[in-house]
Amino acid sequence: MNKTQTDTINKKINTLKPKDFTKALQAFQEKITSEYATYLNSCVRCGLCAESCHYFLAYKDLKSMPAYKLNLIMKVFKKYSSFAGNHFSFWFGAKEIKHHLIQEWIDNLFGRCSLCGRCFLNCTMGINIPYLIRAARNALSSLDLVPPGLQSTITIALKTGNNMGITTDDWIETLDWLEDELEQDVEDQNVKIPLDIPNAKILYAINPREAMFFPLSILAVAKIFYAAKENWTFSSKNYDVTNYGFFIGDDKTAGKLAYPLVESMETLKCKDLILSECGHGFNSNRWEASEWLSKKQNFDVKSIIQNVAEYIKTGRIKLDSSYYQKTLTLHDPCNLVRFGGIVEEQRFILRQVTNNFVEMSPNRENNFCCGGGGGQLAMTRYADRRRKSGEVKAEQIRRTGADIVVAPCHNCVDQITELNKHYQLGVEIKTVCEIVADALILNRNTSSRPGKK
Amino acid sequence: MQEYFRYGVIFAFFISFFSLSFLVLRTFRFGKKTLYSKPQGKPIKGICYAFGQGMMPWAKESVLKHIPTFISGILYHIGIFLALFYTLSLAIPFNIPGQFLFSFQIIFLMAVICGLFLLLRRIIKTTLWQISCPDDFVSNILVNLFLVMALIDVSITKFRAYLFIAVILMLLYIPFGKIRHCFFFFFSRVFFGHFFGRRGVLS
Repeated sequence: MNKTQTDTINKKINTLKPKDFTKALQAFQEKITSEYATYLNSCVRCGLCAESCHYFLAYKDLKSMPAYKLNLIMKVFKKYSSFAGNHFSFWFGAKEIKHHLIQEWIDNLFGRCSLCGRCFLNCTMGINIPYLIRAARNALSSLDLVPPGLQSTITIALKTGNNMGITTDDWIETLDWLEDELEQDVEDQNVKIPLDIPNAKILYAINPREAMFFPLSILAVAKIFYAAKENWTFSSKNYDVTNYGFFIGDDKTAGKLAYPLVESMETLKCKDLILSECGHGFNSNRWEASEWLSKKQNFDVKSIIQNVAEYIKTGRIKLDSSYYQKTLTLHDPCNLVRFGGIVEEQRFILRQVTNNFVEMSPNRENNFCCGGGGGQLAMTRYADRRRKSGEVKAEQIRRTGADIVVAPCHNCVDQITELNKHYQLGVEIKTVCEIVADALILNRNTSSRPGKK
Repeated sequence: MQEYFRYGVIFAFFISFFSLSFLVLRTFRFGKKTLYSKPQGKPIKGICYAFGQGMMPWAKESVLKHIPTFISGILYHIGIFLALFYTLSLAIPFNIPGQFLFSFQIIFLMAVICGLFLLLRRIIKTTLWQISCPDDFVSNILVNLFLVMALIDVSITKFRAYLFIAVILMLLYIPFGKIRHCFFFFFSRVFFGHFFGRRGVLS
């Protein structure tokens, strides 16, 4: 951990006063519903959750155990919400919110958790540990104790409308040159990357990292939409699927970050909001945004993967089934699969482009987190832990013997790219849409597809 | 004297039941979250999964990796519920046919062994020891004591008063400590199943 950052955090913690602890407690308690209270009454500290956590598997230490992290939260719940915990704190393991506990919360609840939910699935009692950790993170957020890298991403997103701080002019310029690229790729001068088209069937939204670092993944989807003759559009103003407010458990901020896409859907009157390959973006917009905004959406929210699977099944796009000669394996992003419920579509898609598809073990909702979720990629202070915890994923990849790792989430792509380098895996990393775009069979005389892989 | 303990057992059952019910009802005051997002699957499917397949070694990794602990837990809890039933039959009283008593002995013996195994596990495994508080140990000890007395009673009835004392202590302690999970477990699994079932995750 960076010494300057640690000193800054410690300074902040040392200046906290009793009214700050009260504020933190209120922020924590306002997140507690009957569901969360049930969970907080249920843990029996059996420890069976330990090996479900990639942090624990990497470090084998107490603080990486999900039960330890949960216990940090339960101590507070018991102290302030139970007679026994309040009056017999030592006996029942209750604890007041004070400086030391705040320090532990920051280091363990931000620093040793990617909110992946594997512990939730494996808990004897079925406790939603990641969402309880989010409740505690909300308390830390109320005291302005969110690790700086994560907080600055949120601040940029609130200020500029996207987490990369891309200006509208830069966004439109990016789309312009992508349009030129698309024209050449599909050999059609009339092809457009539509912008602000009212009443389009689909409003497509991306992870701004794509515009900044992976523009070809935007091109890939545009090509797929072209091949499917889809009626779609981007918004010039609101196109960010990400929601780092989700990671800090601050539902008000998360709601503010989720609203722009809803606003664009209402303004442009599109039918479906289609989200690019982003795990937490899918969970946030598909499952959580309605709750943050306290209203039902009158449009469907889907992952682009669902659309692509549909295009294939209905014959709207055709793929070269032997395009990929190399072995492909699939990473299951936690927020897309375990929390999102999009499990089989990506597998179906990959089986259309290769006969060499190998599953990781375990897979689907039991797959391991890559280590990059929960805001970890933004929190540079915990980069070493993030890489170390990714050892589990690296080993999974190695065991498949695959040449290409398909990761339907740009955060996962970033993390696995780093793991690839750190653990010398020697693999290529691609998104599902990039794979599909490469294998597309377009109706043209000459094929301008890259050679088979 | 034993007669007073008998009434004490019935009284303790009621106190425990109503205290636990009160604790559960008290969680309701935290409020229910209205869910606005469109479901993808059926919550009831998730709930059925949570209580069935979702607890089995072939579906749940934590169980598969800890088969001895899983089996110990199952035998322990079967023993506990049977011992409670047995003790209630003595307190109310109602008759349990004699041919069952030998099976009760076996089950109570297995439960005692499993209870001791789980207690030792908590003491020996450093990580478990470090996340435990006195309640974790005392809860286990009280239940084990009750099981031992049930095992003794089903064999020799002259220590029945001690069985009644053991169960009274345990029942009165339940609402305070972690043994409250005997009620909360069911609600927790319902919420778990509802969450994943609604999102269409669990097959």
